[in-house]
This record gives sequence, structure tokens and C-alpha cells, in this order.
Amino acid sequence: MGVLSWFKYRSPFGMAFMFQRITGLILLFYLCLHLAYLTSLQSRDLYESLTALTVSKQFFIFDSLLILCGVFHGLNGLRIVVHELGFAHEKRKAVLVISVALTILGWILGSYILYTALGD
Amino acid sequence: MKILIRRFDEKSYWQSFEVPVKRGMTVLDALFYIRENIDPTFAFRASCRMGICGSCAVKINGKPRLACETQISKFKEIKVEPLDNFRVIRDLVTEFEGFFVKHKKVKPYLIAEADYENPVEQLQTPQELKRYYIFSLCIKCGACVSVCPASATLEGYLGPAALVAAYRFNADSRDKGKEERLKIASESIGVWRCHSAMECSEVCPKQIEPAKAVQLLRRASLR
Amino acid sequence: MRGFEPFAWIFQAVTGIVMVFLITAHFLATHANHELLSYETAVSRLGSFEYKVFYFFLLLFVTFHAFNGLRAIILDTEGGMRRRKAVNALILVIALVAFFYGAFLLSKF
Repeated sequence: MGVLSWFKYRSPFGMAFMFQRITGLILLFYLCLHLAYLTSLQSRDLYESLTALTVSKQFFIFDSLLILCGVFHGLNGLRIVVHELGFAHEKRKAVLVISVALTILGWILGSYILYTALGD
Repeated sequence: MKILIRRFDEKSYWQSFEVPVKRGMTVLDALFYIRENIDPTFAFRASCRMGICGSCAVKINGKPRLACETQISKFKEIKVEPLDNFRVIRDLVTEFEGFFVKHKKVKPYLIAEADYENPVEQLQTPQELKRYYIFSLCIKCGACVSVCPASATLEGYLGPAALVAAYRFNADSRDKGKEERLKIASESIGVWRCHSAMECSEVCPKQIEPAKAVQLLRRASLR
Repeated sequence: MRGFEPFAWIFQAVTGIVMVFLITAHFLATHANHELLSYETAVSRLGSFEYKVFYFFLLLFVTFHAFNGLRAIILDTEGGMRRRKAVNALILVIALVAFFYGAFLLSKF
């Protein structure tokens, strides 16, 4: 079983824990990719070709999913900080619902901003 | 009603039992029926039948519950399995020795100066009692440990139950052993392995909120 | 305070909270409109003092948070916990490499 057990939760809190881990690892991987992307700034041609590839309608879905990962990880993280300071354990279900609702809102907003910036 | 049970005897296998259902019947009643009328080799733990001993905690339809407190009528079909994160000995009976070793490790007893020649009553106000009372209700059923992701992957992790016991005594105004317990609870395999999955609080049959106890212990560990 | 763990926990929380704002600001500064990602705008942004300070802290916080998070996940496993000292040392080295590389990139502007 081992670490696979972390990804077998079907209950809301267990799934929040699971996605926090998964999004964290995805974002860590993205950090490394991003450092590589920033390296390309040394050459105008390289930077512009990379940007043309990754900031495009074809890549939009990946960027949108990345925003979902980031927004979820951040807002769920705030929820965890609240609980780890000892607060709101009695109201944990409501806190989780609010956190997920804000995540969906943040995701839609972020994706919208990204999409309109593409349009020009 | 058909009851599906994950049995274990050297290897794991599922077995289905047909059990007559009466109104008000609990899952534990069904387990007793199976042992008394169908298969006398069927193994499970039970004692008080009223939710106070913690012996009959099992996984019912994927969630740890006390068999004696779970009504059969609540479900359309029932799957019973032994608790996760414990070594299965036979059928629904799991190894609990490790659980109690961790519990003992946090010194779950009042550490106070006691002069037995001239005993003095240890007074406590209702407010002081309220600080730890709920955490004293733990029945050591192991449900919290069975859903804890840290307990699932780290054998040595103290676990929610032991940490609740540690907090229960640290928060007791009569206790003088706070520093000793904090030292144990704040090791790498103590409170720092908790990442607030909150599953323990969700399944505790006494609604103790072990996650809260761990966080309060974490706060205390900072000083 | 006993050892690194309490410190790591506090800073994981602090960097997380601050980054909710820093990353939102970073996202808006780079994606609010199409021009913001052009080569000229990117270079001028990275050259400005205010952004350099902003990016330095973002880099510091992200590197700490991400690699400490990875460390926590690894220490949650049996193998990781057994080799605790080696895991801590290895993660520290990788985190420092990532941080100094990012700082090096920043210094080029």
C-alpha cells in the first residue's frame, strides 16, 4: 500500500489532502520548468519562440489547469493554516466548502484573464 | 440481508453471508449471528456492545465505525473489512500492540507530586476541566489511526490517538509533566508529520477531533 | 524551540500565505494583457529595481516552500524517515542550487 494509500481517499477532507500533495508536486515540477523558461531570456530569439509556443491557444488548456493547481493549492493551504493554528475545527466542513468555492471562482477568473490576454 | 466480509487466514478473501435482519439490529449483531449460526471460525473483537470499549471498530462500507453503534438499516448493502494501517491477525481482528506502545510512549498518566502520607485534594475548576475533558473521552478504538495518511506510511508516527492522550494530560491543570510529553510529541515522528488531512476528526466515534489536539500540541511545541 | 521542524512549519505557513499574494501579483503583472510578455517588456521589468526586489523575495519564498514541502512528503515515508539526515542535506543542496540559479538569472539584468 505505502504511499499509494495517500491517493485512495474518497471523502472530502481526504481528497483535499490528496490534491494538496498532487498540486504541490505539479507546482514544484512547474517551478523547474519555469526556471528553464526564464533561462531563455538570455536570447531574444529563444525567448520569443518559447513564448510563442507556450502562450498560445493550443497551450491554453495546460495553463488553465496550472492556474487551477495553483489556486487550489494556495486557498486550500490557507484553510490548512487556519486549522493548524487550532481554529475552526468545529466548522471544518463549512471552511472546506468556502475554500473549494473560492478555488472555482479564482480558477474561472484567472483563466478568463489569461484567455483575454491571448486574444490580441 | 447479504453481508460481505473481507476475511483473512494466511491470505485475504471475501465471503458473503446471508443474515436475517430485525429492526434496530446493529452490524455487531450481524457479526455475532454469523459466528453463532453460520461459521464459528469467524473472528472479530467485541466487548461492551455499547460504544465505550472501542473493541469493535471495523471498516464498514469504506469508513471506520464502531460495529455496535452502526445500524444495519442505514445501508442497502454492507461490506465489512478490518481497519487499515493495522496488521491483520485473523478476519476482522488486527494487531493492536503497536497502538498501545505508542500510547504508553507519551506517558498518558498524571505526573504530579503526590505525598501519600499527607494527601492533598487536587482542585480543578469547571473551566480547567473544559480545556481537556473532550480529549479524555477517547476509547482507543483505532479508527483515527486507520485513516491517518501519516500513520499509513510511517510505522513510527505516534498517530492521532497517542497525540490526543498527550494533549489531554498536558492540558490538565493538575499535571506537571508537560515538558516531558512535549519533548516526545515534538520529535520528527511526532506532531510535525501531521498535515491536517482531518480524516481522524471525521471518523472519531466520540467526536473528539484528534486533529485539533495535534494542532494545539504543535502550538505548544513552539515555545 | 527544538530543532529545525518548528522553524520549517512556521516558514512553510508564512511563505505560503505571502505567496498567495505575490503569485497573484506576478500573474497579473505578466498576463493582464498580451504586451506584458514581450521580450522588451520582460527585460525592462527584470531590470527595474522594484521588480528585482519583488522577484528576489518571490524566488526565496517559492524555493523554500516547494523544497520544504517535498522534504515533508519524503519524510512521511518509511525510507525517507530512516535516512532523515541525508534527505535534509540533499533537499537543502538542491534548494540552494535552484535559489542561486534563479538569483543568477535575475542578476543578468
